[in-house]
Amino acid sequence: MTDRFHIKLAGGNVAFDCASDDTLLRGGLRQGLGLAYECNVGACGSCKFDLVDGEVDDLFPAAPGLKPKERERGKRLACQCVPRSDCTIKIRSGEEYVSDHVPRKMQARLIAKRALTHDISEFSFATGEAAQFLPGQYALLRLEGIGQARAYSMSNLANADGTWQFIIRKVPAGIVSNALFDTLQVGSELELDGPYGIAYLRPQIPRPIVCIAGGSGLAPVLSIIRGTRDAGGLRGIPQLLYGGRGPGDIPDIAAMLSVSGVEAGIHPVVSMPELAPVAAWSGDVGFVHEFVPKKLGQPLTAYEYYLAGPPPMIEACVRMLVAEHNVPSTQIHFDRFF
Amino acid sequence: MDMVSVCKTDEVAPGTSLRVEIDGLPPLAVFNVDDEFFVIDDTCTHGDASLCDGEIEDGQVECPWHNARFCIKTGKALTFPAVVPQKTYVVRVLDGTVHIEKND
Repeated sequence: MTDRFHIKLAGGNVAFDCASDDTLLRGGLRQGLGLAYECNVGACGSCKFDLVDGEVDDLFPAAPGLKPKERERGKRLACQCVPRSDCTIKIRSGEEYVSDHVPRKMQARLIAKRALTHDISEFSFATGEAAQFLPGQYALLRLEGIGQARAYSMSNLANADGTWQFIIRKVPAGIVSNALFDTLQVGSELELDGPYGIAYLRPQIPRPIVCIAGGSGLAPVLSIIRGTRDAGGLRGIPQLLYGGRGPGDIPDIAAMLSVSGVEAGIHPVVSMPELAPVAAWSGDVGFVHEFVPKKLGQPLTAYEYYLAGPPPMIEACVRMLVAEHNVPSTQIHFDRFF
Repeated sequence: MDMVSVCKTDEVAPGTSLRVEIDGLPPLAVFNVDDEFFVIDDTCTHGDASLCDGEIEDGQVECPWHNARFCIKTGKALTFPAVVPQKTYVVRVLDGTVHIEKND
């Protein structure tokens, strides 16, 4: 039995209704509010709030997004709390968190699975309604019987057919990714909730685009690069720097983009060339952030950046861009999943 | 060199901070660390949050939003997601009043 509760934001007249099986964050976003967040899965802490009045259940009391001291002071994560009564909460908000397409829960059917590397595959799902999202956004996938949803970015573009494509890496101890790879069969259904995320393509910004990605971070940047095709006014050919450990971690990105008819400069970098499975690696060796200044023709302040990948990669890239090259942080977009 | 009066020393107890707004300057954060006064910009260089709402420990302040830590004395950004230092001000304490030097 699902109840609906009335959630008031402290210090104003703004309020929204939230179902008892929905988190406060998603309930607010579904009604078009710009509640602050990034990861949606309890890791980043951006959606922390104070419960002024009312009762909530915390679905993930050990979420790393809050420090023990913050919990002691009564802080909670809006992405992990469901209402048990009407509530008043104090939470940050901003225009940048309002999505063009309000997130919704949908049933999605797996229609195809395709291996891209030894541990990364492309998963295609179909929903009964149009797939509406901005390039670079993600959705939460929830499998029957597995409580915690996982966030995966879409690699395709919004479409009327209702096709959602994801590039997912099989994580050795990952419950959800293992279920997706091993258990989920074509034709099976899961719950898809989205779109979410603030690292979406800003087509109104004319600066040339640089995408820096590693691992399954390929998905959102492919969507962004594909999205440049429809966004007139973007100057120059988008550049993609993609880092992997070994040569076997680098998918055939050129082939994936040529199918979509998009041009991009593709710069793969591997950190452990000795992992070469078949042929020796003759390309760039090192960490992907080290190659950003070498691959771009203009001062780094001339570009707009979209980042997706492992936390150490994101941090190294932001430090390099902002601290060493004075790129304004407003020109760097990523969702922090840490 | 203009000296600008910011607050009284007894308004900021040791181990606490005070947010002060002065015309022509960004919001300021005054810290009392073991009876030594420091003034830095109050708004975090990363997100739009007030460092005066943050926890103070070992001469560092932690932003209440994304938990980036800054050195109160030097303004240095010590932990991600902040990478840009907070602006610091030269402080003079005269007759129980905290002043900063205003460069312009």
